[in-house]
Amino acid sequence: MAVTTQKIAVVFCTGGDRANRRTEASTLGLDCRRAAEAFPEGLLECGQGCLGLGTCVDACPLEAIHIGPHGAAVVDRERCVGCGVCVGVCPRKVIHLVDASTTILPRCSNQDAGPVARKACDVSCIACRICEKNCPADAISMVDNHAAIDPERCISCGMCAVKCPRGVIVDADGTFTVSDFS
Amino acid sequence: MSESYTFIVNGITRTTEEDKPLLRYLRDDLHLFSVKDGCSEGACGTCTIVVDGKAVKSCVLTTKKAVGKNILTVEGLSYEEQEAFVYAFGKVGAVQCGFCIPGMVMAGKALIDQNPNPSEEDIKKAIRGNICRCTGYKKIIEGIALTAAILRGDEKLDPDLEKGDVYGVGDRAFRTDVRGKVLGSGAYCDDLYLDGMVHASAVRSQYPRAKVLDIDASKALAMPGVLAVLTAEDVPHNKVGHIQQDWDVFIAKGDITRCVGDAICLVVAEDEKTLEKAKKVIKVSYEPLEPVRNIHEAMAENAPLVHSKGNLCQQRHVTRGDAKTALANSKYVVTQSYTTPFTEHAFLEPECAVAFPYKDGVKVYTSDQGVYDTRKEISIMLGWDPDRIVVENKFVGGGFGGKEDVSVQHLAVLAALKVNKPVKCKLTRQESINFHPKRHYMEGTFTLGCDENGIFTGLDCEIYFDTGAYASLCGPVLERACTHSVGPYCYQNTDIRGYGYYTNNPPAGAFRGFGVCQSEFALESNINLLAEKVGISPWEIRYRNAIEPGKVLPNGQIADCSTALKETLLAVKDVYEANKDHAGIACAMKNAGVGVGLPDKGRCKLAVHEGMVELYSAASDIGQGCATVFLQILSQTTGLPRVLLRNMGANSEVAPDSGTTSGSRQTLITGEAVRMAAADLKKDMDEVGGDLAKLEGKEYFAEFFEPTDKLGADVPNPKSHVAYGFATHVVILDDEGKVKEVYAAHDSGKVVNPTSIQGQIEGGVLMGLGYALTEDFPLKDCVPQAKYGTLGLMRSNQIPDIHAIYVEKEELLPFAYGAKGIGEIATIPTAPAAQGAYYARDHILRTKLPMEDTYYRKKK
Repeated sequence: MAVTTQKIAVVFCTGGDRANRRTEASTLGLDCRRAAEAFPEGLLECGQGCLGLGTCVDACPLEAIHIGPHGAAVVDRERCVGCGVCVGVCPRKVIHLVDASTTILPRCSNQDAGPVARKACDVSCIACRICEKNCPADAISMVDNHAAIDPERCISCGMCAVKCPRGVIVDADGTFTVSDFS
Repeated sequence: MSESYTFIVNGITRTTEEDKPLLRYLRDDLHLFSVKDGCSEGACGTCTIVVDGKAVKSCVLTTKKAVGKNILTVEGLSYEEQEAFVYAFGKVGAVQCGFCIPGMVMAGKALIDQNPNPSEEDIKKAIRGNICRCTGYKKIIEGIALTAAILRGDEKLDPDLEKGDVYGVGDRAFRTDVRGKVLGSGAYCDDLYLDGMVHASAVRSQYPRAKVLDIDASKALAMPGVLAVLTAEDVPHNKVGHIQQDWDVFIAKGDITRCVGDAICLVVAEDEKTLEKAKKVIKVSYEPLEPVRNIHEAMAENAPLVHSKGNLCQQRHVTRGDAKTALANSKYVVTQSYTTPFTEHAFLEPECAVAFPYKDGVKVYTSDQGVYDTRKEISIMLGWDPDRIVVENKFVGGGFGGKEDVSVQHLAVLAALKVNKPVKCKLTRQESINFHPKRHYMEGTFTLGCDENGIFTGLDCEIYFDTGAYASLCGPVLERACTHSVGPYCYQNTDIRGYGYYTNNPPAGAFRGFGVCQSEFALESNINLLAEKVGISPWEIRYRNAIEPGKVLPNGQIADCSTALKETLLAVKDVYEANKDHAGIACAMKNAGVGVGLPDKGRCKLAVHEGMVELYSAASDIGQGCATVFLQILSQTTGLPRVLLRNMGANSEVAPDSGTTSGSRQTLITGEAVRMAAADLKKDMDEVGGDLAKLEGKEYFAEFFEPTDKLGADVPNPKSHVAYGFATHVVILDDEGKVKEVYAAHDSGKVVNPTSIQGQIEGGVLMGLGYALTEDFPLKDCVPQAKYGTLGLMRSNQIPDIHAIYVEKEELLPFAYGAKGIGEIATIPTAPAAQGAYYARDHILRTKLPMEDTYYRKKK
């Protein structure tokens, strides 16, 4: 008996203008895909961050994505139906579908080692492992230098979000963390 | 400038200047005791509250992060909601120890607000962050569903059920403790805040084995708010222990620690903050020593001695007939070795006690399994007449054997006598995990033989237990492991050798099953291998050998008239046969009562007072429900309704000693004492036309004692125990190898409370499944590695469908209306049945628990 669970898209980056830019060159008129091609060296110090140029916004058939106050894409949880179009169009692969009831997630995709990640962005995961140590359910591990939660084990207690010194782990409901961008 | 944090709690605006876990604020500042502190790590869910409509663990949230939020606890639910939860949880039997219940209620409340008609799956998901160790979740899920139905108007609550006009033996009686546990109005020890109460906590060893070179408490003693620091020198007799007094209250300077968490000294301070600070500035210097890590190291020549008398703590040799010859002449013989892990009880309520000077001595409120046991241990420690010590249980938030030894009670008493004030002493969850006694780790080799028809001929086995740093209940637990390693069958040649070794691991002692979980896992697994050799089914071989009334058990005891193992086998035959390529089956027996020649007495005093009957019997209700069972027996015998009966609880000052809540004994042993006293009362009632007022002030006392024979008694058919319960479990896997269903058929004699027994069975089965599949207690050089959230306790979204079946025979024992115990046996056959199911599925014999290479623990 398979239980179908409703999915929802989540942008695994909240950096936006809090990520350091590698170039001052204008991106006017470019969407994410073209910008990625135009700047092969990278637009941001972070090699994985959201470019904030709205390819996903344009692609979303439900107008469920917008560029948030910090300049990174944000999914409207009420509108999203988990169709996955945005996942396909994002050149940085920072959008993933998760179980719609999942509210607490580490929202960073940076793959650099801690010190480099720290320099790249104000809200990057530096793989300090504080969340991993405080997780009562052993649900967190470091994957590609950033925190990842195993949804099978997570009990949504919020401990990781409360303890994260970088504000990377976000509670979409805003109970454990202030989420002015989601 | 100090910040202040404002939020709404149960409709009232509150402001605090302290940034601290919301749990602490709600309990310490607002005294909202429905919010329980089970771990303070976010793992257990007992502190669940509702914040802006969402179920949240209050230990995770802080006052600072709660600013502007709307917070709700059980105390703030509407009258209709409270009544709906009380009724629904009581009716379906969702409440056992009760410590998880307010958290479950709030998780349920958040769900029902969002979804007034939740499905079973919805409820399982909503409470997946809330651990329950007693019920197996099934009845809690039913309770939330019924609450939802009442609140949306589909069901009605019936006030007569709680009132209890129908409260006899066999009735689905509403437990006495439901209301206090659901609403959080009944107190556990940690809910006590006495006037002038101060706090105590021990500085404990980080090393399993280290010499204590020096203890410097001068900085702590100089801190304002620190009242005292006690060391071994302050203890009249520095030893405690449930049976053997081998456990140092404090490790003295110059002595050697035996396990992580050994107490070095006890700090007493005015408040918990000061206490924590003071503990940190106490300097203990150690010389770490090589620990004894396991049984093999303990046995080795020149092994360091954990205790001066040697590392062999206990041994037993149980033998009858001639196993050697019988096995040599057997058509088929199977020899196999098995390993089972330490298991943590993980009761939801961590140990806590509150002591204060009282009369010419001391009184202590406790959470334990026998107030007279605790009194005895404390009296030995103090060198006092036991009567000067009064011990009274508050609600006990689960025990499962893990609260038989003193843990904090004696420390609270020492501190209270030292500072002459009420003192609360409690363990953190991690302390509780680190050093309260566990289920024994076992290594055992079992040889079982049978003839060409599968009839068992003999058993030879050797059982090794790791009892860790202290004996605790090693002797009797090892003995039960040995005596029950034979299983509920009727062969007569056995040679069983058991050894319990001290190591520097955490101590091991009593745990639901009392050694039998280990040995019957091994035996039942061997039986499947024999069935294969004979060419008959695992069901058939068990049925052919099953004990029945009049036949002789392997220990020589003649099975009594109530024996119904075969009935339990028949109850699951069809379902087993229909699924046998992915199902496993196992039987078990478990004694009710301590037996083996010991003076195991049940006592009860009834007093007619103010027109009511007060029941005095110091028998700890640790969640299993004996307090209700006694009232049902009293009601059955006297015909009086529940409203005229009052159970006065386990209090050594007023209630007679009715022994430990252990050995599945309270329903039978104390239950019969209650029946005897009630029968005397009934006789007098009949003489006065049933008018209780005419008996005002009268008391009725009864003591029940049914003698048994000691182990190895020189009689042809020794009677080891007053009674045995029997059971057969069938575990069925699905296509993925996940446990889909468990059928648990039990013979517990007459069922006193059908709702309660189902809850006991369901909870026991889930505990057994955890033992089989998910629960482990890893140690690294004797240091526990687990925290509460990683013990592998099954959560609500992992449970299979558990079918609790009880068979009731007409022929019953003449005690307690024929009731036998259920407490322990429910958890025994599940693990071997699960093993059998995987063996049927893939033919890999898994001899180690928790089993590897299953759906639950993938192959590494």
